Amino acid sequence: MSKLLNLSLKRFMIYAGLVLVCSIPVYYFILSKLWHHELDEHHIALTPAAGREDRYLIIMIVTMLTMLFFLMLIIGFVLINRRISKRLWQPFYNSLAKIKSFNLDQQQTVVFEDTDINEFAELNQSLNKLIAGNIAVYKQQKEFADNASHELQTPLAIIQSKLDLLLQSKLLTDDQYELIEDANKALSRVARINKNLLLLTKIENSQFMDRELIDLSGLLESTLSAFSHFSENKDLVLKRDIPPGITIEGNKILIEILLNNLITNAIRYTVNKGTIAITLCDKYLSVANSATEALQNDQLFKRFGTTTSSITRGTGLGLSLVKQISSRYGWKVDYTFHDMYHIFSIQF
Amino acid sequence: MKILIIEDETALAKSIGTYLSDENYLCEYATTFAQALDKINIHDYDCILLDLMLPGGDGLRVLEEIKEQNKQDGVIIISARNSLEDKIKGLQIGADDYLTKPFHLPELAARIYSIIRRKQFGNVNIIEQNELRINLLAKTVTVNEKNVTLTRKEFDLLLYFISNKNKVISKSALAEHLSGDVADMFDNYDFIYVHIKNLKKKLTEAGCDNYLKTLYGTGYKWEI
Repeated sequence: MSKLLNLSLKRFMIYAGLVLVCSIPVYYFILSKLWHHELDEHHIALTPAAGREDRYLIIMIVTMLTMLFFLMLIIGFVLINRRISKRLWQPFYNSLAKIKSFNLDQQQTVVFEDTDINEFAELNQSLNKLIAGNIAVYKQQKEFADNASHELQTPLAIIQSKLDLLLQSKLLTDDQYELIEDANKALSRVARINKNLLLLTKIENSQFMDRELIDLSGLLESTLSAFSHFSENKDLVLKRDIPPGITIEGNKILIEILLNNLITNAIRYTVNKGTIAITLCDKYLSVANSATEALQNDQLFKRFGTTTSSITRGTGLGLSLVKQISSRYGWKVDYTFHDMYHIFSIQF
Repeated sequence: MKILIIEDETALAKSIGTYLSDENYLCEYATTFAQALDKINIHDYDCILLDLMLPGGDGLRVLEEIKEQNKQDGVIIISARNSLEDKIKGLQIGADDYLTKPFHLPELAARIYSIIRRKQFGNVNIIEQNELRINLLAKTVTVNEKNVTLTRKEFDLLLYFISNKNKVISKSALAEHLSGDVADMFDNYDFIYVHIKNLKKKLTEAGCDNYLKTLYGTGYKWEI
């Protein structure tokens, strides 16, 4: 990759060099013609040795002069180029820097500096339009997700209440009861997905802004003990390396959600009698669980990136919540597969 | 016991009303903001179920009105909004509880039961059912004057069943009740068995009749 202006400079220099090189024989030809003409006019005859010497002299002088001009041209080109790229292209570089720092998530609008150059003004205008359009669509989409989830809550509540009532009818058969229970399970899954979607949009909309100092070690321990009967149920071996007193700054609700999701995922996706290892240190948290094969890395943190099936009953949103929360605080989330372990780590 | 259901979604209000009317609850309905204000101005209720998004006004205003009038009605907010701010605001104004939609009707019934008990019986809050005595304040259970030691979860379950007596409770409703937000992350409801088995065992060993029946394989009913 090279700069646009350097590219044209190189072409100019090659062209100038070519022209000057071609000019050497032309100069030589014309000069020697002139020289012979003058000699003939004044009836001066040269010895062959003197003639050869003159020829060499002319070639040398012409070449040197050409070189000198070429040098001057190059120096001029470079200087002018530098000035042009500094002054003329400045608006372009300004706009470029603005776009680079633009982040759709942060909802700030971009203000381009005024320029009196037509092309750049046009470019900025088009960029403005493009960005404004993007922001509008993004906002709309978020509002839609938010509204849709809210609107869904009430019909879900109605279905839930009707199922609960249906359960009270006298003389249900076992099969009918099973039907209701299956519907119940699916319904609670929908409700869960909906809740997580709402949560995601809330985090994106920059809610949960207040921060406090959180005792991460304590929170981690209490989360683990809250889930202990689930892990005991699956006979999981829990290895924990959690030194006390490690704190972190953030929103308590969000940190709880983050830990909950990492740990429930580990418990849910580990086979019975598997191992879960949790390691915490000053700037690093990792949750590892035994597994048989690596997961598809690029799909992991996307919404609904992993297929939710009736076997796992996940919401497809857990890890994107983890990612969203981490990126709010500038933490780095990573997934690796090592020694038959899924390892999810966060660098604070 | 009089209950006012302030909810603009009539299908939901009707379900709640039907479920509750089997107990000795008398349900009245309000579907708009104005109706709600009318009702609370005229009558006293043991418990008010309040939806926050009402046609004609914000449900929180109804709550403020109840509190301004110094009424003793218990209030449970039932809302589609699951934001912490709403929850905190509602509880600060003086709601007794906050339930996010969707919810299981037994869950709602349990919360109503607990609020009415608290409001009406204050310091001598004891539930008696034949040989069974539950002291809600001390959180103790006796069967024929004999103490039964229950874990926190088992005590909680017992109350849940008693506030939904003669009703069929599904396993999913129980799972949600037992661990709230945490349980619904799991598909495995087996942990419920353990708690129920222990509760049953402790009660029958102390000489209590077996009121807790298993229905259809995985459903439960406290029969009396």
